[in-house]
Amino acid sequence: MKRMMIVAGSLLLGAGAVMAQQEIAVQQDNLMRSQAKSLYTVIQKMTKGDIPYNQKAVDEAIANLEADVAKIAKTFEVNPKQDVVDATYGSSQKVWQNKADFDSKIPPVQKAIAAVKGKIKDVASLKAAYTSINDRCADCHETYRVKLK
Amino acid sequence: MLQRTSLVALLAAVAVAGVYWWLSAPVVAAAANAPAHVPDLANGEVMFNAGGCASCHAVPNQPDRLRLGGGVAIKSPFGTFYAPNISPDPNDGIGKWTDADFVNAVMHGVSPAGQHYFPAFPYTSYQHARREDVLDLFAYLKTLPAVAGKVRDHDVGFPFDIRRNIGIWKFLFMDGKPLVADGSKSPQWNRGAYLVNSFGHCAECHSPRNALGGIITGQRFAGAPNPEGEGWVPNITQKRLGEWSAKDLANFLKTGELPDGDSVGGAMTRVIKNTSQLPDQDLAAMAEYLKSLPPVDGPTPPKRKQAS
Repeated sequence: MKRMMIVAGSLLLGAGAVMAQQEIAVQQDNLMRSQAKSLYTVIQKMTKGDIPYNQKAVDEAIANLEADVAKIAKTFEVNPKQDVVDATYGSSQKVWQNKADFDSKIPPVQKAIAAVKGKIKDVASLKAAYTSINDRCADCHETYRVKLK
Repeated sequence: MLQRTSLVALLAAVAVAGVYWWLSAPVVAAAANAPAHVPDLANGEVMFNAGGCASCHAVPNQPDRLRLGGGVAIKSPFGTFYAPNISPDPNDGIGKWTDADFVNAVMHGVSPAGQHYFPAFPYTSYQHARREDVLDLFAYLKTLPAVAGKVRDHDVGFPFDIRRNIGIWKFLFMDGKPLVADGSKSPQWNRGAYLVNSFGHCAECHSPRNALGGIITGQRFAGAPNPEGEGWVPNITQKRLGEWSAKDLANFLKTGELPDGDSVGGAMTRVIKNTSQLPDQDLAAMAEYLKSLPPVDGPTPPKRKQAS
C-alpha cells in the first residue's frame, strides 16, 4: 500500500512537472505575443494604413512594448524543454545554451525603443521607429526563434 | 573452376571501377570558343542578391554583407561545411579565377583545380542560370573588397568526404536540363520561375531530401525539416500559402513581414536580407511564380518538439 502511494505520488509529481514546463512555455509565448500585438497589430498596421494613425494608441503600444521587453531575460530564465502545444513558433534550445548571448540581444531593442519614445508624431516617424525596433527584434529571432511547421 | 570464378569477379570489379571512375569524373563546360561578354555590373548585383551569396559567404559576426571572406558553418546530416572565401583576394579568394573557372564552379560545381564541390553550394539550382548572368555576377564580385584569410576545411565524415563520390551524386540528382521558358505564361511569370529555380535556389531548403541528400522531386517546395537541426522549413506551395496573395508574397520577400502581422524568424531572416535588396518588379515576378505552384502535400512536421 505504502509503495503504491509512493508510486502514485511520484506519478502525480511527474505530471505536475510536465504541466509546469508547459506553463513556462506558454508564459514565454504569451510574452512574445504581447510584444507582437504592440508592434504588429498596432504599430505595423498604422504604418501600412490598415488602421488610422492614433497618437494615444502609439504611445500606449510603445510603453507596453518597453515594459514587455524588460521582462524577456527573466521570463526566459528557465528552459521548458518543450514547445507550446500546436504552436507555429518555438524557442531554440540555443537560448539556454548561450543564455548570455541571448540576453545581450535585449539592450539593443531597449535602446531602439528609448530612442523613439515620445518622438513619434506622424506616420512617417512611426514608420522609421517601426523599422529601427523591428530590425533589432529580427537580430534575435534569426538565431533563437524556430519555425515548427 | 575457382580460377575462372575469380577471373570473372576480377573483371566485374574492374568494370565497376571503370564505370565509377567514368560517372564520378568532374564534367565542366568547354572553355574554348565561349562568346565574349561585356559585363553589366548592375545586373550582377541583382544576381548577387537573388542568389543569396552573402548569407553563406559574408564573414560572420560583422555587419558588412559585402565582405565575402567566408567562414559561416553550414550544418547538415552529412557533416559541417564551411563556406569558402569568394572575395577578390588573389590568394585566398577568387581574384585569380578566369571567367571559365567561375562558370564551372557556379553552374557545374567543379573547382578550378578540377574537383567536385559539395552540393552544400547550391549549384544544383545555379546550373539553371544563364551564362551571361553568371558572368555579370563574377564581374560584380570582383568590385567588392578583397578579404584575406583561407577558411578551414569542411568537417565531413567518411564516405561523404571522398569528393569523387559527388560525381555519382550529381549523376543521380542533378538533372542537367536547362530551364525552358513556358511560352503560355507571361514574361513576368517566366522571370519569376527563373529567379526562384536558378539563383534564388528556394527549393534547396524548402524541399524534402532522400537519405542520400537528393531532393524528392514530387515534393519540390513542399517543406522539410530544417537541415541545420531544430524546426521546420515550411511548405511554400499553394497547399500552405493559398491564403497569401501575390502581393503578400512580394511584400514578404521585401520586408520579412507575414500577412498575419508577424515577422520572419530563423534562417529566412538571412534570406530576406538579400531579397529585400531586389528590384520590386523581380519580387513581383517571384511572387507570381510562387503563387502558381500547385498545392502539394509534403512531409508532416513533428507534432511537438521534446528537447533532449
